[in-house]
Amino acid sequence: MTQATGPVEQTQADQSTVLESLRTRLADLKDEPGSLLEALYIAQEMLGYVAPESIEIIAEELGYPEAHVFGVVTFYTLFYTEPQPKHIVRVCRDLSCHIAGATEIAARARQEIGAHPGHASPDGLLKLELVSCLGQCEKQPALMVNLDVHGPVTEEGVSDLIRSLREEDQ
Amino acid sequence: MPELLAVNKNLFVEDAWQLDVFKGTGGYERARRALTEMSPEDLIAMMEASGLKGRGGAFFPTGMKWKFVRADPNTPRYVIANGDESEPGTFCNRFNMELDPHLFIEGMIIAAYAVDSHFGYIYIRGEYGRAIERVEQALADCYADGILGEDVLGSGYKLDLRLRRGAGAYICGEETALFNSLEGKRGNPRFKPPFPTNSGVWRKPTVINNIETFACVPLIVENGAEWFQDLGEGDENAGTKIYCLSGVINNPGVYELPMGVTARELIYEYGGGLPEGRTLKGFKPGGASAAILTAEQLDVRLDPSIAQYNTIMGTGGVIVMDETVCMVDAAYRDALFFEEESCGFCIPCREGTPNLVQILERLMHGQGVMADLQLMEEIGDSMASSFCGLGQFAYRPVVGAAEKYHDEFVAHVEGSCPAGSCPIAKN
Ligand SMILES: Cc1cc2nc3c(=O)[nH]c(=O)nc-3n(C[C@H](O)[C@H](O)[C@H](O)COP(=O)(O)O)c2cc1C
Ligand code: SF4
Ligand code: FES
Repeated sequence: MTQATGPVEQTQADQSTVLESLRTRLADLKDEPGSLLEALYIAQEMLGYVAPESIEIIAEELGYPEAHVFGVVTFYTLFYTEPQPKHIVRVCRDLSCHIAGATEIAARARQEIGAHPGHASPDGLLKLELVSCLGQCEKQPALMVNLDVHGPVTEEGVSDLIRSLREEDQ
Repeated sequence: MPELLAVNKNLFVEDAWQLDVFKGTGGYERARRALTEMSPEDLIAMMEASGLKGRGGAFFPTGMKWKFVRADPNTPRYVIANGDESEPGTFCNRFNMELDPHLFIEGMIIAAYAVDSHFGYIYIRGEYGRAIERVEQALADCYADGILGEDVLGSGYKLDLRLRRGAGAYICGEETALFNSLEGKRGNPRFKPPFPTNSGVWRKPTVINNIETFACVPLIVENGAEWFQDLGEGDENAGTKIYCLSGVINNPGVYELPMGVTARELIYEYGGGLPEGRTLKGFKPGGASAAILTAEQLDVRLDPSIAQYNTIMGTGGVIVMDETVCMVDAAYRDALFFEEESCGFCIPCREGTPNLVQILERLMHGQGVMADLQLMEEIGDSMASSFCGLGQFAYRPVVGAAEKYHDEFVAHVEGSCPAGSCPIAKN
């Protein structure tokens, strides 16, 4: 299975190669009715987001109007229509986590990342999202980096985590 | 009383997610028996006699659901496992999918045979990376071992199951929205009736059950309907329920107990009570959608009869709150969730959820007025006519909190937070 968000750095040149191989990978899905979400996952895994060109190819290959594919992409919060930072830090803001201090966790994450929720950090590596319950409430307060779960997290733990994510990339 | 382990018994068996280990616990023998020695009618009768009701929150009798599907002459019929689990405070399906994925798959095989279905889907929320991996592995192992495919367990019965991922949308747990998602569409709900039993995915008769519901099925086949019936508290309840416990509690986690234990037993006997020095203020019995109950209501039974207290049992996700939790803030968290997750398809919910959020924000910032309390009720009244269950329930925790903790809401209008924890208190 592919990652929900696996941002990949791309140059223009290899984007076109990627789009061609997307076409190939979609071949398996043609006989699988309703597999649009799976197609979008594949597209997102390959480029790090669902590019307008990917939407075009998916529409063509699976026989949907482009507007339908676009409508579906924008309905689901795990799909992105813009390039994404490599690490998306998803802090749960729902009740159990909130009671356990999620608001402070989110504030610390924002400070470390250096950008408001929903925006990329100045170095372009990280982004904070405040999200609905992750189904990890026994780990209150919980967060995910892409799909990796952490919890219970402390403010210090968040600082360490974000620092290590940055170091990973040096 | 020790924790009961029926559905969860393999949670403590090392590597039970691996096929050979699972088989060592009697796994797939129940399905083999069902498919080779029992008639579909017998199985449905057995489910009815067991008293099994859907664990997804609506508690519809499972045997009856299967019977309706089987009675519909339309084919093909489908079976679907609902693993979207996104109700705040709920995480029990995750444990079962990660640690014991074969148990619910075995239940799905039995269900498929009972309704004469040859194709099914398992829909798991996209955030559950580990559960997705484990279920994918389990399906691959089943195909390799002849448990799925052309000749299920040597019975001659054909069954294919596919794993599909959601992509971040609570509403896709609602069955008709889930069908749309499976069909490659936006996850907006559909009008009911027709019900899924007659018009589900691809508009065909469909059994859709929660992961935990399916996980009960092999155990019923193994131990009998009466055994299952007897597991529940009292005559009305059958089986166990896997309760989830979070919030202000010593031991958050999942606890499998007789359906119908009291909140007091769950919180104090199993959850270890609240941390030293903390006093219980209230608790939500079933996730965000459930209206809060007060500390005085600790002896209610956690089963569908809880509806008499104007709340719901829902998914059994119990969230505990103490004196330091501000009830306006808690209601705000629920409202925020529903605002975020409203699919936007119908007006009462699309407009009502942000309106509630705004009012609660005002209250928490000392800008509320008494008329706001009335306004919340009016918004609630209009949301009651929402298109689906999300909007029909979304306002109740807010209105319920304002009713139960009226004085605390009034204090916010007057400019103070008695719990001392919402933004008003910090100004
Ligand atoms: C807004 C909303 C969200 C729901 N989410 C879930 C869910 O995540 N998992 C689930 O099993 N049922 C969920 N349900 C209930 C399903 O619609 C359906 O009743 C259930 O899957 C049937 O299975 P059961 O009979 O085994 O409970 C939800 C219902 C609503 C209205
Ligand atoms: S009630 Fe809410 S979630 Fe349901 S259809 Fe209306 S807008 Fe969508
Ligand atoms: S409330 Fe945060 S993971 Fe469930």
